Formats: sequence, C-alpha cells, structure tokens
Amino acid sequence: MSECAVELDAVTKRFGDFTAVDDLTLRIGRGEFFSLLGPSGCGKTTTLRIIAGFEQPTGGGVRLDGADVARVPPYRRNVNTVFQSYALFEHLDVAENVAFGLRRRKVPKAEIAQRVGEALELVSLGSRASDRPSQLSGGMRQRVALARALVNRPSVLLLDEPLGALDLQLRKQMQVELKRIQREVGITFVYVTHDQEEALAMSDRIAVMCDGVIQQLGQPEEIYEHPGKAFVAGFIGISNLLPATAANGGVRIGTGALIPAPVPDGIAHGTDVHLSVRPEKLLVDEVEDGMASVEGTIAERVYMGTATQLIIELAPGARLVALEQNTARARADDRWELGDRVRIGWWPEHGQVLR
Amino acid sequence: MSGFDRPRFLWAVTGLVYVFLFAPIFVVVLFSFNGAKSLQVLDGLSLRWYEEFWRDESLRESLVASIEIAAITTLAATALGTGLALGTIRSRTRTARGAALFLLIPLVTPEIVAGVSAFVLFAQVGIALSLTTVVLAHITFSISYVTIVVRGRLAAMGSELEEAALDLGATPWQAVRLVTLPALWPAILAAAMIVFALSFDDFVLSFFTTGESPQPLPVRIYSALRFGISPTINAVGTLMLVVSLFFIALAVLLPRLLGRRESGLAVLTGSRTA
Repeated sequence: MSECAVELDAVTKRFGDFTAVDDLTLRIGRGEFFSLLGPSGCGKTTTLRIIAGFEQPTGGGVRLDGADVARVPPYRRNVNTVFQSYALFEHLDVAENVAFGLRRRKVPKAEIAQRVGEALELVSLGSRASDRPSQLSGGMRQRVALARALVNRPSVLLLDEPLGALDLQLRKQMQVELKRIQREVGITFVYVTHDQEEALAMSDRIAVMCDGVIQQLGQPEEIYEHPGKAFVAGFIGISNLLPATAANGGVRIGTGALIPAPVPDGIAHGTDVHLSVRPEKLLVDEVEDGMASVEGTIAERVYMGTATQLIIELAPGARLVALEQNTARARADDRWELGDRVRIGWWPEHGQVLR
Repeated sequence: MSGFDRPRFLWAVTGLVYVFLFAPIFVVVLFSFNGAKSLQVLDGLSLRWYEEFWRDESLRESLVASIEIAAITTLAATALGTGLALGTIRSRTRTARGAALFLLIPLVTPEIVAGVSAFVLFAQVGIALSLTTVVLAHITFSISYVTIVVRGRLAAMGSELEEAALDLGATPWQAVRLVTLPALWPAILAAAMIVFALSFDDFVLSFFTTGESPQPLPVRIYSALRFGISPTINAVGTLMLVVSLFFIALAVLLPRLLGRRESGLAVLTGSRTA
C-alpha cells in the first residue's frame, strides 16, 4: 500500500481560457494535516474539488491511497468534505445528517446509532442529536458538518475554508479543536484556507498557492522564516520587502548601504532582488556587533496591545515595519516619539534575499 | 414608533386599494345568499341559489370537470416542470440554456394565440375535442410556471447540498431524491398552487379546446350568460372561490403539518417567517 494518501501528478484544470490549476504535482502523506494556502482564485479550492471528484482534471492523474481515481465518481471515493457553507440537510435532524453517509453504505442500524453517537461526542454535540440544523449556532453547525464527514472514517478529509464563517474568537477555539480531533482520529486532513495564521497554527505542512501553481511547500516554520519567493514572504505575515541588488556578501539597498545577508546560490551579483525581514526580528536602538543595521525616522506608531508596531522610514518610499513587544520593562510608545531618529538592527541570517 | 413616521394618508390609500380589490368579491358572496332574484337589491338571506345550482346537473358536472382538469393538470405539470427545472439548471450545455430560454415563450404568448393554435393543432392531428384536450392544453401551458418557480429555488440553493450528498456516498439519483427534492418541497407546492389556480379558472384556453359536454365551469358560465344572468352565477362564483381558498390553505398548512417551517405561500410572497 502506498505511503501517500493523496497523489497529484501534473494535474491541470482549465475553465475555458482560465487555467485554475497549472501542472500541479503534490504528495500528501497519511495522517498529515496539510494546508493549501493562497489568495482567492489561486486554485486551492479547485484542487480540493479535484481530489473530492467534483471536478475532472483537464490533464494529469489523481491517486488516493495509491489507486487511480480518474474514473471514480465522488460517491465512490473514500474521501469526505466539510463544505464552506456546511451544506447541512435542513430537513433532517442532526443525528440523521450525521448518519447520512453510513446509511448510503448500508451499515447495520445498531452500528450506525453507535458511530453517530461517538461522532457527536467527538464534536461535543451529544445533547443536540435531535435538533434541526436551523436551531443551532454557526459554530455548532460547523461541528455537525465535521461529524457528518468524520463518521464515515474517510481516508482523507477535505476541508474548504471550514472556519471562514465564524467570528474570530470561535475561529481560534475551533482551530485548537480541529487539531485535537485530527490527532485523535489520525485521518489525513487537506485544509483549504486563505488565512495564513490559521494555516501556520494547524498544519504539518503548507503549500502556498498562487495562479494555480505551488509557490512554496514546507513546514510552517520553514514557510514563515524562510520564504522562498517575494510572493510567499508578502502573503504570509507582515513582511518588509526592500528592493535591492545582490552584491558580494549581501545586498545593496536603495540608500546605497551594503547590508550583510545570505545570498542564495544562483543569484548573480547585480541581480535585482528583494530583502525581506520579519518585523519581530528588527531591534530598534539595540544594535549589537555583527548585526545588519540601517538608520531611519519613526514615521508611524500603532499601539496593538501586546505589541507596538513602528513604521520606520529609511528614505522616501523605503519603509520598514518593526514590532516591539510591550513588556513589563518598557512600552514602545513611551520610548519613541514620531520623528525620532533610530537605528534598526537584525541578525544577518534573519534577512531573506528573494528574487 | 414607526407608526408616527408614516403619513396618515398612506393608511387611507391602502384601505381604498383593499376595498377596490375585495368589494366585488364581497358583493358576489353576499348576493349568492340573496333571498330575491334581484342582482341589485338584497332581500333576506337564503340558500336557494345554491339549491338551484345543485339541481342544475350540467353546472354541477362542470364544477366537477373543472376540479378534475385542475387536479390532473397540477399533478402532471408539477412533475414535468420540476423535472425540467432539475434537468436545465445543473447542466452547463448550450442545449440546456436554450431550453430554459424557450420556457419563457408560453408566458409571453397571448393566451388567445395559445388557444387558437392548440385548437388548430388538435383539429389537424385529428383529436376530438374533449376534457382530455383541455387537460393537454393546460399542462403544456402550465409547465413553464412550475419550472420557473422551481428553477429559482434551485438557483438560490446552489449545488453544494447535492455535492454534499454525493460526497457522502449518495448516487446522483439518491442525491435528488433524498436531498434536493425535500429542500425544494415548499417551492414545488407553491408552483402546484399557482398551476391549480390558473387551470381552475382558465377561460380562453379551455374555450378553444373543450368539447360539448361537460364543459369546464368558466366556459359553462359564459354559455349560461347568453340566456340572461341568474343569481345562480353568484353561488357558482362563491363555490369557485371556496375551492381556490381550500387549495391555498392546503399549500400553507401541508408543510407545517409535515414539520416544515416554510410554507408554499411564503415562497411566493417572499416572506421567510410565515
């Protein structure tokens, strides 16, 4: 049996002239929490729908558990989907919704009752079995959709922006909950989202997509700390992107200063690049020996509770965002005034040279 | 209080509109209980015009015929129209879109044209005019209404519900039977209600396609008028009103009796809470 739950080989999907998914190859391991992350229209939902069987790829192959499913309709695939709108059956009660898949597969009645009960317990809805979906809150409806899919013990669970309709607090709560459930049931999750924080918080691996192509694939830390492309750096988190040219041992930024930074192999001297540094890596007025540093003026100061965001202008049009924690010792908005000249430093390895 | 914000004359206008709408109906119902033969002066209450109607066998047969026509038309047109709606909405083919466009033609065709063409068609094919031809003409004409109401509902529903059913292992046919149709039920009932009302009191199409006897009730009433107006007409009109109201009540109550919160009427009037 294959080690991979999902294998996509050079999958392409075109709608008329529009290419939604472009020559995509992907391996998703068993038991993995895998996220497809990208802006709307990047092809992530189409990829999910191809795995589910709702869309036929224009080209390429799809394998589930090692078996080619090109000609297998959705209702004979061992995958289940949690839809963005939940798609609950309003004319059935919660237990009947959850039992729907088991009934179709002619599971014995006693077993259905038992598994439905377990699934509802798993999502903490045991007491709402005989309610109609319309009587439930958004968060509960979401959990019914989850139970309805999980009860079938699919080999892969597909989730299409499942938390998109919930408010922030509930979303955070459900992120933890989903992760716990995934660990408990050990099923492969393929999770589609445009929310980078959500993807970072929950995933084992993330594929960042844009224009139907995977821009970068890796573990959350890798994607965040070492974005391979300017698009990834910009899409994930707040990122400082300074235009620069590659030079010996670093990059030369617009002010003419040479900034030490690891230049990847294959980027020739003089190439136009971007230098990216995460805001929390910047230290304001605490430059130590061996750090890369630049000088600038505080242009904007945004108090955000746990931290204060400082926007520092190096030269007209060239700005860096620094995130200073409001610790017990000091608050950033007490320490600096607008217009102050400051020196910002960071360790060279935190600078990413991106094409 | 919003009542103070609204100018008073709006209440007056609303009242007048309702009087204008319902006064003629009220008069018909009232005079159907008139003790005298007059159509202008009320002289005591009695049921004599209902008795008269009951004694007139051909009128009675016409009422029964009209109910039969409307019932068969409703069943057939609702089934066919719903099927057509399901078939045309999910298909991305050009033929399906063309078929959906053709549905609008019966709605904009003047009924007199539809009547004449049905008459000519039946004559040319050589089908003798009877209640069967009336039913056939009514069904043809009614399918569009059903399809348009049901299609609207299907479009609003989107395809995720059906996809969820397929995802959970239902075959396409099971998805329609177990998920789509139950969700469409109020819309289908609303469509059936419209078709029944249209068919039951249709005159033009029935006039061109009916045989000698029994005739549909509206045609029969029209024939009777040639021999002068009798207050029996009021009784017949009242009975027709009662039959129509009965079916509207059915459309409202049936979904509630089956535990649904939304009635067929709510689908038509657009109110979600009814």
